[in-house]
Amino acid sequence: MPRHRGARAAAVIVAILLALAAVGCESAVSQQQNSTAPAAPGGPTPRGGDLRVGVLGDLSPKAFLQIGTGSMNGQVVANSFDTLIRYARDSLTVEPSLATAWQLAPDGRSLALDLRTDVTFHDGRPFVSSDVENSIKAYLSGPWTPQFKRTAAAITRFDTSDPHRVILHFAHPLSNIFDLLDSAPVIDQNTLPELKAGTAFNGTGPFRFDSWQPNSTVRLVRNEHYWGGAPALESVTFVVVRDDQSLFTRLRTGQIDVADGLSYHDQQLVTQRYGFTGLTLTGAESQEYVGINVTNPALSDVRVRRAIAYAIDRPRIINDVFRGSGYTVNLPWPEWSPAYRPEANTTYTRDLDKARALITETGPIPPLTLDYSTQGNDRVIAEIVQSNLGDVGIEVRLVPNDRTQQSSKLIGGKFEGLWLLQHAFAQFTPSTLAVSAYPFNAAKNSSNYSNPAYSAAAEAAWTVRDSSSPEALAAYRELDEAWLRDLFLVEIGVVLRQVATAPSVGNIDWDRRNQLHFAGTYLASEGKQ
Amino acid sequence: MTGYLLRRIPTAIVVLAVASILIFAVLRLIPGGPEAALAGPDATAAELAAIRHDLGLDQAFITQYLAWVGDILALDLGTSYQVGGSIADLIGFGLINTLILTVAALIIAILLALALALTAVLFDNRFVAGLLTVVNAAAIALPTFVVGTVLILVFGVRLRLLPAGGIPPNGFTESLQISTQYLILPALTLGLPAGAMLARFLTESLRTELQQPYVLTARALGASRTDIVLKHALRNALPPTLTALGITVGALLGGAVLVESIFGWPGLGLLTEEGIFARDYPLVQVLILLSVAVFVIIQLLADIVHAWLDPRIRLAGDR
Amino acid sequence: MTTDQSSTTTTVAAGPNAEDPDLVPGLLPESPGDREARHPRTPLWRSLLHGTGLVGSILVITVILCGTIGPLFTPYAPDQQIDGAYLLQPSLDHWFGTDDVNRDIATRVLYGIRIDLLIIFLAVPIGAALGVVAGLATVTHPASDVIAQRVFDVILAFPALILGITLTAILGPGAVTVGVVIALAEIPIFGRLTRTSVLRVRELPYVEAARVSGATTSRILLRHVLPHSLEALSVQFALSLSLAVFIEGALSYLGIGVVAPAPSLGSILAGGNGYLETNPWFSLGPLIAVSILVLGFYLIAQSISHDRRLRR
Repeated sequence: MPRHRGARAAAVIVAILLALAAVGCESAVSQQQNSTAPAAPGGPTPRGGDLRVGVLGDLSPKAFLQIGTGSMNGQVVANSFDTLIRYARDSLTVEPSLATAWQLAPDGRSLALDLRTDVTFHDGRPFVSSDVENSIKAYLSGPWTPQFKRTAAAITRFDTSDPHRVILHFAHPLSNIFDLLDSAPVIDQNTLPELKAGTAFNGTGPFRFDSWQPNSTVRLVRNEHYWGGAPALESVTFVVVRDDQSLFTRLRTGQIDVADGLSYHDQQLVTQRYGFTGLTLTGAESQEYVGINVTNPALSDVRVRRAIAYAIDRPRIINDVFRGSGYTVNLPWPEWSPAYRPEANTTYTRDLDKARALITETGPIPPLTLDYSTQGNDRVIAEIVQSNLGDVGIEVRLVPNDRTQQSSKLIGGKFEGLWLLQHAFAQFTPSTLAVSAYPFNAAKNSSNYSNPAYSAAAEAAWTVRDSSSPEALAAYRELDEAWLRDLFLVEIGVVLRQVATAPSVGNIDWDRRNQLHFAGTYLASEGKQ
Repeated sequence: MTGYLLRRIPTAIVVLAVASILIFAVLRLIPGGPEAALAGPDATAAELAAIRHDLGLDQAFITQYLAWVGDILALDLGTSYQVGGSIADLIGFGLINTLILTVAALIIAILLALALALTAVLFDNRFVAGLLTVVNAAAIALPTFVVGTVLILVFGVRLRLLPAGGIPPNGFTESLQISTQYLILPALTLGLPAGAMLARFLTESLRTELQQPYVLTARALGASRTDIVLKHALRNALPPTLTALGITVGALLGGAVLVESIFGWPGLGLLTEEGIFARDYPLVQVLILLSVAVFVIIQLLADIVHAWLDPRIRLAGDR
Repeated sequence: MTTDQSSTTTTVAAGPNAEDPDLVPGLLPESPGDREARHPRTPLWRSLLHGTGLVGSILVITVILCGTIGPLFTPYAPDQQIDGAYLLQPSLDHWFGTDDVNRDIATRVLYGIRIDLLIIFLAVPIGAALGVVAGLATVTHPASDVIAQRVFDVILAFPALILGITLTAILGPGAVTVGVVIALAEIPIFGRLTRTSVLRVRELPYVEAARVSGATTSRILLRHVLPHSLEALSVQFALSLSLAVFIEGALSYLGIGVVAPAPSLGSILAGGNGYLETNPWFSLGPLIAVSILVLGFYLIAQSISHDRRLRR
């Protein structure tokens, strides 16, 4: 008897399983493969399709114009808005965007920009010169703290009497004014409250904001009236992904076409083994560094800081952790920067004898702390640095922080000893670094380092008219020397961000802030998996 | 019954009130305030203070707390710092996703528990019992995050049978078949350990029931083992199992944090985790209070059902 | 899961003098002598030494031996970074290969077991002890009963992982925090369990007899009531140990467990998670250890509860 009953129960279970299997007839997996308009081989750019882009993190309207708050904000800025000018990807050449021409006054105290006359916002309102003034003021007024705040604040007056020409007047010559114009989007004053609430993103860019489902997706649709020509893609859907692991699986299973933020290991895997296309975002470099609190008694002796610079195994970090996507440096400049000098980057290489000798000179030092963020791959780097410093007799205790704690310590200059982070802004005008990049800021930095000569050099580089003039280069040299001599932070290497795309995706553009531009992007069906 | 409810409900409210104070206080103890998450690295002290003022964080703790409780009682959940949207909307979306996942997991857990427990009791032999113990133990012993990741790799990435994560791109209502496929892996990951726990509990209860004297009587009267199990023992074993189910739902909602994290399932767990990392006080406060409220209500319901099924409890205090 | 009965009995004993109706239907009346004769200690140990209990004990002891003696035999230190040994395949030198920081994974697993065992064998007993004390307190006075019950409810109401994330954010990550989270999670479980058991036993004739003969409450609780509850508590204790291994793993998975470079099973698993496709053996070692440990404790728990039922 019991057997029969059991058999019946088993039959029910089998039936349920079969039912589940039958459900599988319409496959979610095949549904999720991108089906695009067929492309005629050799024909014009294929049009249509929805590009699905996996992005780490969600939109955060309160921090919309703040750089470094997650990439979703940046993706919307880059695709729904335009800037006045664009930098070329591998040099500081200024290229037109909403501004078609510009004249810098001989004294460097004003800049006149001629604006396009055929541009309208997504709601149909024409773009005029007062929008430039309002945008820069909105950029400054928050709630966000934008990166080029000091540059924007140095603009004293806007001349908008001509609707298609704007003249910016500066308090002093601003060598990095184009950095601001490359970064600050032109936004619509009338819908600013909606923008801050995350309900409307009324820009002039190639894609209009369609919808935002927090924690899930942001959808942009083609702007048919885009001044640069309507984009090929019908829509772009940004998918919020919470960790690089799911980014990897979703790219591999065809749930997304573009993955922005894969781990370097996975990036290598999908491009080398599974036939995805890798993009290296040259021009959007960031730098991995070890910050040093110079007011820590053990670290106030520059010999200890030099021992640290000699101890760190930079090639290992670049090769193992970043899988070769970058190069070791002692100074922050990327290879194409006007301030880049290869010979300066060999000042400190791993040399245990020199490092030990320095420590012997200074005598034993107490254990140091090394703060790192639990996000990303900083834990592995922290462990390598800890071991490197252990080799020369500097004992290090690791302090993990979540990202908010880490940034709160950075803002407050509250790191006790050493810390590990990435910085950027060496990919802009070199003078930007010492006035706007927090680790280097001559006025106030987390290292609690201050030096009148350094501040003077930073100011000199910033207030020069031409960012590539001999006097500017001389000022960069002076900054270089201060960094190499005083070592209030130790650079590990320049890191290149990478993006992986399905083979069907073509022609993705990017800017200096790791933001992808899809105005010219298309989806071809023949490359589809 | 009324007397019972009158005694039981106030305690539930006390728990909620205490929890709300704890949540409010504990969140503010976390080092690094929301201004650090909102402000850029270049923010000055004045800007940070402005953000704190903007968020009302410069007011006295008690003022903030009372304001919050007042808003909650007026059913105004507030706005999120980080996202800037209405918390009610955020939670609405997350709640639906979490509920769908939890219910699916619960169904899997109940089916699994019934199947395992009945098989164990009906086939009362050593081999089956041993086999089930191993199955059961494996379901409990394998860590959720490994099971989830392996399921994704095998069914999502290698075999490509099921989606590797996320929710259906066009929502759950578009197609039941598609939705089911998106649900299977996360619900299985979430429901497996819960089902195994529940199975263990039900098996125990059934076996205990089977040793009651009435079973002997029924046996003597000629009832088959199957009949006894299904008609008598199962019915008597259900009330305590219901209570266990209540706790299981709590465990599932808790476990959802990890599963949502693994499968990128945009539910409340993911929202809470992100909210804590971003120090989004208003959002996290409401989320945790919600999960406490759900727990308290489930407990309350379980107790009421229990009392209803078992008159001795209901009457105990009425005397 | 034994705790689930508690809410039932909560209401039963609402008043201090509530007459306990016959809680277990169908139980034949027993004489106090019968009850006293069943001293619980011997069978408790025996549960570990036969049937599934023996299997469980062997599994747990194997892991304990690995964690205590194992590290003596490894040529590497757990945080030793070997030059050029980035993510190596398993070999005779490195049985489970090496990790992404050039360390021998087998060594790290052995040390990881040690740290896990240390955490769970400190945190679970502390949590259990606090829970039992709180549980006993509930029955001594109606006021303390109400307070303790609500405290249990409040703790239970927070999902363990959310509790973990929040506490870690406040206290900072580390082995101690993981221990605190585990201990805190155990308090209501043991508290409720103790309370239930005590309420069951309290009205039994022999306890009544002890009370009449003038024994103090604490004496009655310690000498008569607690030993009686020992079996149920042991089952839960074994289950809690396995739960603790889980909590450690889950916290480490979320990146807030033991501080690097110290290895724990959870942190090694979390580290290997990014390499499951190319380097599955990275995760294999800790996975085996965690599973054996959890399985072992679980089997022991089952064996104890099985024996308890047999003797009923």
